[in-house]
Amino acid sequence: MAVSDLAHASKVSASARGGHVDIARLSVLALVAVLALLPLLAGGFLLYSLSLSIANAVAVLSVSMLVRYGGEVSIGHSFFVALGAYAVAIVEHRLGLSIAVSLPLAILLGAGGGFIFAFPSRRLSGIYLAVATMALALALPEILIGFEKFTGGFEGLYIAQDLVPGVSKALQRYYVTLVVLIVVCLALAHFRKSAQGLALLMAQAQPRAAEAMGITRSWARISIFTVSAALASLAGALTGFASSTVSPNSFTFFSGVFLLVGSVVSLNRLSLPAALVGGAFITLVPTYLAKAGDWVPILYGVALVAVTLAANAGDLRRFVPGRRAR
Amino acid sequence: MTVAAGSGLVADGISLGFGGLQVLSDVSLTLRPGVITGLIGPNGAGKTSLFNCLTGLYRGQRGHSSFAGRPLDGMGPAQRAGCGITRSFQNLAMCPDLSLLENVLVGLTLKRRSGWFSAFVPTPAQRAEQQDTERRAMAALNELGIASAAHQKPSDLPPGTLRLAEIARAIASEPRAILLDEPAAGLNAVETRDLIRALKRLMRPDLVLLVVEHDMDLIMELCEHIYVLNFGKMIADGTPAEIRAHPDVIRVYLGDDADD
Ligand SMILES: Nc1ncnc2c1ncn2[C@@H]1O[C@H](COP(=O)(O)OP(=O)(O)OP(=O)(O)O)[C@@H](O)[C@H]1O
Ligand SMILES: [Mg+2]
Repeated sequence: MAVSDLAHASKVSASARGGHVDIARLSVLALVAVLALLPLLAGGFLLYSLSLSIANAVAVLSVSMLVRYGGEVSIGHSFFVALGAYAVAIVEHRLGLSIAVSLPLAILLGAGGGFIFAFPSRRLSGIYLAVATMALALALPEILIGFEKFTGGFEGLYIAQDLVPGVSKALQRYYVTLVVLIVVCLALAHFRKSAQGLALLMAQAQPRAAEAMGITRSWARISIFTVSAALASLAGALTGFASSTVSPNSFTFFSGVFLLVGSVVSLNRLSLPAALVGGAFITLVPTYLAKAGDWVPILYGVALVAVTLAANAGDLRRFVPGRRAR
Repeated sequence: MTVAAGSGLVADGISLGFGGLQVLSDVSLTLRPGVITGLIGPNGAGKTSLFNCLTGLYRGQRGHSSFAGRPLDGMGPAQRAGCGITRSFQNLAMCPDLSLLENVLVGLTLKRRSGWFSAFVPTPAQRAEQQDTERRAMAALNELGIASAAHQKPSDLPPGTLRLAEIARAIASEPRAILLDEPAAGLNAVETRDLIRALKRLMRPDLVLLVVEHDMDLIMELCEHIYVLNFGKMIADGTPAEIRAHPDVIRVYLGDDADD
């Protein structure tokens, strides 16, 4: 598998034919090159914001993955993002270990948490599942403050450990998140062709036919939610590392909504450029609009409208060029 | 009708209703291995409903079914698929996001062993399995003469090709029982020829094969044993010659013609 697979994670067969696909491949390679060189141009707060954008791009992918492969909408993925972020902070504070340990651990924790949530709610779908995930997002701040001994309560925790000693903190944050994002996009491109990926797409498009092929609905629901939560938790670990801090402020109910907005903005696509657009949108817009305080309520309003649209994600996707209606 | 255990796919006294509508009434049939069995009947007779009962998509209010002596009662569709029962769908059940080849590959899901790790990270074992399943799916497409369309999306293909792909998906996993719901619907004469040839080639002594069809000529040519369903009741069964001469069958089909 090549980096060029990043262009169209969900359009494998297209890459077999057609010259225009090569242009897509080249432009993604060019994008990767630009991203790799960006720290030469940007520094300080901008580089910090870009690192966060990339971490959020991974979080957006976790939501888009649930939409694409599960046909479901989650408003509460901030719960799993928080799980990963706090895993990094707590592993550092309690065990003194860096993200070399806590990043893989975050994936496992997210998968475990996703499974624990998905198993009892495996018969829920559509708006009912979305509401159930909302409960997660609403409970989160209470949980974080309740377990003050571990989570640092309102104050939160700092994350100070480097992955590579001797390299500047800003560069580490940027390059670690970038490399993880690229690896995640490659993994998602591979997943599209895997037995599990095909089975999930079939279960979504033709649930009864899929059952007759041995793919049960509950398997599909539990699997996609578990995988998506694992990815969200990985994104959370990156967010914690990139921002050097975790606190309940970063995981309010609206962070879950924003992830969904990011997914809608990126048209639920699982490619590198789409993820970056979604991640940058939900990171940079609030950052820069927050300075103009009056705009914030409008921003929230826009976010809510976007959620309404996202709830009809299936309908929305019909308007994406090159995709036939179901 | 009672049937000795251990002989193929057996349905015994199946009844199914939706609200006030009785769709199947005390229907029994025995699909013997090595025999191509046909199921005919007018529109709305309950053929697809019987399929759905055999494959576990519907649960009959009464009756039992078994496969190779093993009771199927209480098993869902996925479990029955695990017993080696596959089917095609009358209303083409293709996933629009997947290529034709990938749609057939999904039919091999139960044969695949690669785990979640290799779903995200390429491993040599996963690659080998991928090649092996792709080879089998291509062989199935080839068998039905549609291998050239393997990499196209269902939306770009004519219904005849999709119909054949349905069948390719049902046969690709080398199942022990295949149930085909109107496999020749929408096929032209050449495609129908190819289909008959492919099904005959497919037949093995241990394979259960049931074909639902409206096309009488096809059923008469293909099947050794034929069941006739009308208004949810099994009104006749026998060899093609017996069915052709059966007074009830003649009445149903002539009556049907008179209605048209
Ligand atoms: N899920 C369902 N709910 C209500 N009624 C149903 C359902 N499935 C089938 N029926 C009814 O059962 C009857 C038999 O339908 P079925 O599809 O089994 O007939 P068929 O023999 O396959 O007909 P065709 O030749 O048109 O495919 C019809 O009257 C149909 O409306
Ligand atoms: Mg039918």
